[in-house]
Amino acid sequence: MDKPLLMRLENVSKQYHMGEVVVDALQPSSLDIYVGELIVVLGPSGSGKSTLLNLMGGMDRPSDGKIFFGKQDVSAADEGELTNFRRQQVGFVFQFYNLIPDLTAAENVALAASLIKEPMSVSAVLEEVGLSARAKHFPAHLSGGEQQRVSIARAIVKRPPLLLCDEPTGALDYQTGISILALLRQITSTVGSTVIIVTHNTAIAAMADRVVRMRSGIIAEVTSNDIPLAPERIEW
Amino acid sequence: MPILNRRLWRMVAAGKGQFAALVTVVMMGVLVYISMTTAYYNLYNSQQTFYQQSRFADYFFSVVKAPQDITNRIETIPGVVAATGRIQKDVSFLRPDGGRGTLRLTSYKLPLGQQLNQPVLLSGRMFTGYSGGNPEVLVDPQFAKGLGLKLGDILDIVAEGKIVHLKIVGIATSPEFIYPMKDASSIIPLPGEFGIAMLPYNQAEQILNLQGQVNQLSLQLVPGTNEYEIKKAVDAILAPYGNLYAYPRDQQLSHVVLKTELTQLKVMSRFLPFLFFSIAAGMQFLLLGRMIRLQRSSIGIMKALGYDNRTITAHYVSYAVLVSFTGAMLGTISGIGLAVLLSDTYAQYFYLPTTIGGINYRAIVYSFMISLGVGASSGLLACRGVIKIQPAESMRAAAPVQGKHILLETIPWLWKRFNSSWKMGMRSIARNKTRFMVMVAGVSASVVLLMLGFFMQDAIDYMMEQHFEKEGRYDYLIHFSSPIRESDLGYWLQWSEVEDLEPILEVPVSVTKADSNGVKSDDDLLQGLGLDGWMQGVFSPSGIQLAIPDNGVLLSAKSSKKLKLVVGDHIKVKSKMDLGPGHTMTLKVVGISQQLMGGGSYVSLQTANRLLGESKLLTGVMVNIHPGQAAAFERRLGDLTSISSIVSRNKAESNFRTLMQSAIFTIICMVIFAGILALAIAYNASLMNFNERKNELGLLRVLGYTNAEIRGVLLKEIGLQSLIGIILGIPLGRWLANYYIATAATTDMYAMPAVIYPRTYILATVSAIVFLIAGFWLITPRLKRLDLVETLKNWD
Repeated sequence: MDKPLLMRLENVSKQYHMGEVVVDALQPSSLDIYVGELIVVLGPSGSGKSTLLNLMGGMDRPSDGKIFFGKQDVSAADEGELTNFRRQQVGFVFQFYNLIPDLTAAENVALAASLIKEPMSVSAVLEEVGLSARAKHFPAHLSGGEQQRVSIARAIVKRPPLLLCDEPTGALDYQTGISILALLRQITSTVGSTVIIVTHNTAIAAMADRVVRMRSGIIAEVTSNDIPLAPERIEW
Repeated sequence: MPILNRRLWRMVAAGKGQFAALVTVVMMGVLVYISMTTAYYNLYNSQQTFYQQSRFADYFFSVVKAPQDITNRIETIPGVVAATGRIQKDVSFLRPDGGRGTLRLTSYKLPLGQQLNQPVLLSGRMFTGYSGGNPEVLVDPQFAKGLGLKLGDILDIVAEGKIVHLKIVGIATSPEFIYPMKDASSIIPLPGEFGIAMLPYNQAEQILNLQGQVNQLSLQLVPGTNEYEIKKAVDAILAPYGNLYAYPRDQQLSHVVLKTELTQLKVMSRFLPFLFFSIAAGMQFLLLGRMIRLQRSSIGIMKALGYDNRTITAHYVSYAVLVSFTGAMLGTISGIGLAVLLSDTYAQYFYLPTTIGGINYRAIVYSFMISLGVGASSGLLACRGVIKIQPAESMRAAAPVQGKHILLETIPWLWKRFNSSWKMGMRSIARNKTRFMVMVAGVSASVVLLMLGFFMQDAIDYMMEQHFEKEGRYDYLIHFSSPIRESDLGYWLQWSEVEDLEPILEVPVSVTKADSNGVKSDDDLLQGLGLDGWMQGVFSPSGIQLAIPDNGVLLSAKSSKKLKLVVGDHIKVKSKMDLGPGHTMTLKVVGISQQLMGGGSYVSLQTANRLLGESKLLTGVMVNIHPGQAAAFERRLGDLTSISSIVSRNKAESNFRTLMQSAIFTIICMVIFAGILALAIAYNASLMNFNERKNELGLLRVLGYTNAEIRGVLLKEIGLQSLIGIILGIPLGRWLANYYIATAATTDMYAMPAVIYPRTYILATVSAIVFLIAGFWLITPRLKRLDLVETLKNWD
């Protein structure tokens, strides 16, 4: 890889204690993530892909191992540092959009924009995701695809170096799903964010620079696509 | 249905805090209701029992002197059940420290038989008739306590220019002296300065040189008789004997004070519980409504299994009933405790021989009925939603919350200024209107309670200032047993203690409208003051100080109201003084006067003298002394036999302060009630808000909002509602304070304006904010425990 390193996971593992049962959600795994690449993390339910995403996003701390973001040891960060890490470095896109119902599309984006010093302009971001006309609508009045675009706009308005997407097309129909993927691909070049898409939909792997395959709580395989497919050409 | 019962307990356990908050509000309602109604009924019943046992009179007449068999003539008037004649006169007594005070000698015929206003012995023994030794007397308990008098002690009085030794053989009270005040202008009883001595009639006629005479008549009337007609008939009989004044029971000092207290208790015992029960109803309605919304799918499953609407409704209503029952239980226990405390406080004020204590079972039954009724009905109202739930539909995810534009958005320049968290808060308020109203009502209610509490301190401070600083600016007010010449005071000025003095001439008069032929008259006290005097301030009803007019009269507000007289009218005053023939004169009303307590109509010293056909007569004197000379001055007064009463401002003021400390108890109670209410309402609203917005808040944390910022988001919504509650609560509190003063604290004798100082508004607002923030703060640990991953999963 000739790109600079963005994040490094060293033997990261995570155990959950459910009463007396210990669940190994993630077994010791290592992964390097580079600036500007698009990674698709593939795996069936329970394979540990969401756990991996939560650890990368600073929503959770590993039970063991280290996570470096640049020189910052995210795995040793305290609550305040983790909050700041999420605030400055990470954008999230969720399967169910997670928009605030009481805020309009533009206000949902502004909610994130208000957190940092120099965000992108809200209207520019909505323009970017193709929702300028729907800025004043509440989530309940938007279609699923439109809500996901708002969610993406909310994530990228902070210009995060790392954009984490958890099943971003999971709740959408095929056509809409494709358009969302195209938008994410576009963002790697326009915003310059590293995009990580977690999905169980194997077809999406074709658009990735690299594909991380997970099975039973462990990274089973990491492969590179020499020529990633344009999202519009993906079919499932 | 044991399974549903088990589920009920689990619901309680899962929301312990909220359950506790609801129980607390119900408990407060019951606590206040039981304690206050119990105290009310105890006080009321003791009053009624005492009045009946002692045959408390319905009407009182004073004459200069009349033969004692005059009662036989009065008893022939239709409507009069009984008439008792007696001698009552104020004399001065000598205090052990050399000072003087006023003793009201009141006579009773032996045996007591069917006399009115009979004394009831609290300790010692009844007096016996003339036995050769010192006359035997009974004294009132406050006086005995104030002077440290014991049975067998000798009390020296000055009567008719002679010193008489009275032997105290018992402590007794009578319905007239439950709250023994000297006159309407004394703000409170002065146990060391004024007392009651009850003695046999034959002793009184000897001591006061009134053989075969009486100077007071008490009447018992047939209930419902026309008092005015009877008064006219009695006045006609008494006319030849120097008829001085008459008043019905409703103007008898001790009765007025007790009645005022009873009215206040009654008003509060209804208003306060109403407040708490209303808030409790609102909170239960909200909580159950929310519970049913959240448990839609469980309800759907129950329905699918075959549970009918009634069973499911009963299940949820039983939560509200459980809240009410627990609250009523705890409230009853604490209410009985507080009732004892309240009754003890009243016992310090009022000496009632039969204190009816104990538990008011009716209040307890009512409390349970009210709280269970409130719980069940708000529960039923909230459960209407259960019926609408369809099993199949309920197991699908609920429709997402619909955001809506609100009215404020029509003002874009204003709306633009709010950041996202303000917008979220405001839209959430707009969406949850019922919750908003309950919150606002709760905050308003607690502000009202705070205002009512703090304003009592204002009332006390105002009374202190008005009575002791503005109206009475003298160090001593001294009354003589009979009028003296101004020249007799000349040597007082040579006493080194005396700095200045001002004479005063008080003439009891009857007032009629000048051109009305005396159809309607009012008894009044005409007070003659020096034109250049300053020791007695006279005020108009609106609080403006009035100057004593050269000619004309500053008519008392009481007489002006009764006779419908205004400034510019002329009145005819007729002297009722025990001095020569009854003189009359016509005076122009140049102003209306209203003193805080007592008072009367004011004229110049010359005018008052002219009425009596005299020139330099006075009945009393106001004295200012040099600092530190009080003891010496009082010793001088001790040597004078012509003094009937002495009021020392210092003593009255410190006495008043001591007595008013018990008001602190009420203020503290009010603040505690308000605090608990604000705490419960803020905690409950915050918790509901938090639970409903948990996912949103979790998302904000994921986006990078800090805990403090999240707290801010919640606080904005609560804060906005609190602010509105406070803004509404302040005028409401002000209005209620005025209403309270008007209905429960204003009598013929007290002219208490509703004074609210700015500090009360500030104190009420600041305390409300502190309590609200404290209630909110109770939920903040939950914010720290928010599980980010979990909240994202639960998004729907």
